[in-house]
Amino acid sequence: MAGGLLQIHDPLKPRGHAVGIDLGTTNSLVAAVIDGKPRAFPVDDGGALLLPSVVHYGADGSVVVGARARALAASEPTSTIASVKRFMGKGPEDAETRSLGAYRFLEGGPVVRFEVKGGPPVTPIEVSAEILRTLKRRAEAALSGKVEQAVITVPAYFDDAQRQATRDAGRLAGLEVLRLLNEPTAAALAYGLDKGSQGIFAVYDLGGGTFDISILQLVEGVFQVKSTGGDSALGGDDFDRAIATRFLEAHGLAEAVHPDAAAVTELLAAARKAKETLTHEETTQLSALGRTFTVTRGEMESWIAPLLQRTGIACRRALKDADLGRGELDGVILVGGSTRVLAVRRFVAQLFGKEPLGDIDPDQVVALGAAVQADLLTNRDRADEVLLLDVIPLSLGLETMGGVVEKLIPRNSAIPTAAAQVFTTFQDGQNALDVHVVQGERELVTDNRSLARFRLSGIPPLPAGMARVEVRFEVNADGILSVSAKELSTGVSQAITVKPTHGLTDEEIEQMLLDSIEHAEEDIQARQLREQQIEAERILHDARKQLAAFADLLPADERRQVEAGIARVAELRQTATESGALAEAIKALDDVSRPFVERIMNRAVGGLLEGRQVDEV
Amino acid sequence: MRCWNCQSEVTGADVCPACGRVLPVAPGTTLFDVLGLPRGVDVDKAELERAYRERSLRLHPDRAGKDDPRERRLSLERTALLNEAYKTLRAPEPRAFYLLKLHGFDLQKDEARAVTVPPKVLEEVLELREQLDSARASGDDEQVSALSDRVRVQSATTLSAAQSALRRLERNPADAAARDEAAQALARLRYHHRFLEAAEGSDEEER
Repeated sequence: MAGGLLQIHDPLKPRGHAVGIDLGTTNSLVAAVIDGKPRAFPVDDGGALLLPSVVHYGADGSVVVGARARALAASEPTSTIASVKRFMGKGPEDAETRSLGAYRFLEGGPVVRFEVKGGPPVTPIEVSAEILRTLKRRAEAALSGKVEQAVITVPAYFDDAQRQATRDAGRLAGLEVLRLLNEPTAAALAYGLDKGSQGIFAVYDLGGGTFDISILQLVEGVFQVKSTGGDSALGGDDFDRAIATRFLEAHGLAEAVHPDAAAVTELLAAARKAKETLTHEETTQLSALGRTFTVTRGEMESWIAPLLQRTGIACRRALKDADLGRGELDGVILVGGSTRVLAVRRFVAQLFGKEPLGDIDPDQVVALGAAVQADLLTNRDRADEVLLLDVIPLSLGLETMGGVVEKLIPRNSAIPTAAAQVFTTFQDGQNALDVHVVQGERELVTDNRSLARFRLSGIPPLPAGMARVEVRFEVNADGILSVSAKELSTGVSQAITVKPTHGLTDEEIEQMLLDSIEHAEEDIQARQLREQQIEAERILHDARKQLAAFADLLPADERRQVEAGIARVAELRQTATESGALAEAIKALDDVSRPFVERIMNRAVGGLLEGRQVDEV
Repeated sequence: MRCWNCQSEVTGADVCPACGRVLPVAPGTTLFDVLGLPRGVDVDKAELERAYRERSLRLHPDRAGKDDPRERRLSLERTALLNEAYKTLRAPEPRAFYLLKLHGFDLQKDEARAVTVPPKVLEEVLELREQLDSARASGDDEQVSALSDRVRVQSATTLSAAQSALRRLERNPADAAARDEAAQALARLRYHHRFLEAAEGSDEEER
């Protein structure tokens, strides 16, 4: 039939694809479900699937993301932001933010801001948005169409502030964030649906800097997260440090208290390489700082054993929270590059009494699972397949007298969830109550994460203990919290969606969106060009197909014109540096082929009518 | 009540049988009602799991109310309540506390003060705590787990005492003696729990 060119203008064709994005500390990936199967897309011209999560800001205002940015890190350390994920949702006073990298921070203000070349200071949200924008464009190129919706993964251990920051980054990148999906859950989704299996799975996720464990159950189309746990300060980088420490000891350098940053970087890189080599060699030589050091696999395994034991504690706790013994698991899924270390695989097998599954690339599995969830949420044909029931990873509570936390929603509660607690006044005539929302497992407020503070005022003056204030927590399916407070006798109430202390306000996000439109002329140009190139690809493909299929409908002179138009579009698609010329060529080709297209349509319609008459006779 | 969307008359449903929209929660709905389970001390676990899954598929915001903000709100509320019912009724202990609450005695709230735990029980609890503290201070892990095991056995006995009192109370809601017995047993169970929580911190490393 008259497919091809007609489809280009088909208004019924749904616009926009939904993708899954693994926004990682070290690398990021983008994937989508195509023909029922999730697939990761190349993120550079060389075909690599992993985009290094590094953003470089040039003195000329340009922004470079990925491997090219990473290459600039050594020469431009302060304007090249790596591991930005570790800064998400953190305040400038967080100790950790100071020890990561040689960045220059803007002093003051509630939000971390990096001072970079070529423009005003940037927040972690803006840096992450650059990574997301790059992934979005690459996915658009691969899919030959717009990408407007995404499922973005976050570590199960991300708190509310970190989740909000991730969601805001997505918005800033022009993506509708369909869902923030916990990474281990995503991994299980990638495995679970592939195999159509039922059962209970443990997901052991050891990344560069974090460790997550989740227990999930898949029964009759419901994927239920039973429990999650982990250690947000334990990962493969610690393996590198363990090796590096032994190197320094062996060379009598352990006393050097402040080695220079370049030396540390060099040594850690060498240690990482040694670790990777030892996954397939018994022994390796590590060279750094002009010295060498021989490491056997056995030695390395003994050095990292205490780290693995620490993951074991979290695993046993997760099993207990899920009310399960280790014998009840049907499978163990490995996620994260650090699970390539053989000792990790052995440890996991022993811990759970099961050989771990590893047939999906541990670097890709999270993005693939996110793509599956994006497809489930947007594709109406698949809406009945699997429902995912996730949990909240950290307890939510309120500050009470004496700085003690009163937990309202315990960790591992299924989401969405709600809880309410009635508090009272402690002074006669007290007319306001401060509400301080915290997240974490510890007893004291100071040991937990402060999420928000607000004040309920307008309480009627009553003797102490008489006013009754109900504080209600509500957590939606993304794990994001809203809090409301209400004085029960008068109905005075106040509600907020918790905007974390270290996040950005909606106004700030709006302003950033505006700025990114105003100041990124070049960006827009590049994007328009890319869109025209995609359009060109599509029109070329269709026009060539029509030429072959309906050659009899095309007189020779018209054919020459159409072919010239095709050649022009094909050439400009390769060479054009701005979108205008290419857009004109596309329009010209469209114009010269219009009579041809009309003839194809007429034949198609004629065919239909004839067909109907035959039927009706 | 009438369906907010199609106005047809509905009773006891979470989703309108006529138009398929999610309905608000009717006043007086118990957590047992939410899962469609018979109210009682004992619950069929397989039936509970099945009911939870089946209702999640119907009510979860990923499935319901995608096109209508009001229904989306109801779907969120319904699912939150469903999750609460699942969490509360799945394990025997929170289920027992909840049943007592249905009889007007909420141990999480002020009523806890009204329960008089016999001084003998309190003494015993305090003594156990002291033993735990000294065992932990001297790093005696064996003693810690021996104490935990002892309390676990006690709490199992206490729970079954609470359950049998609750069964009587379910048969005759006016049985004040049964109510007091259940309340006392459950108050005692709470002390056991606090002890086990405290013991757990040191226990976890070596288990």
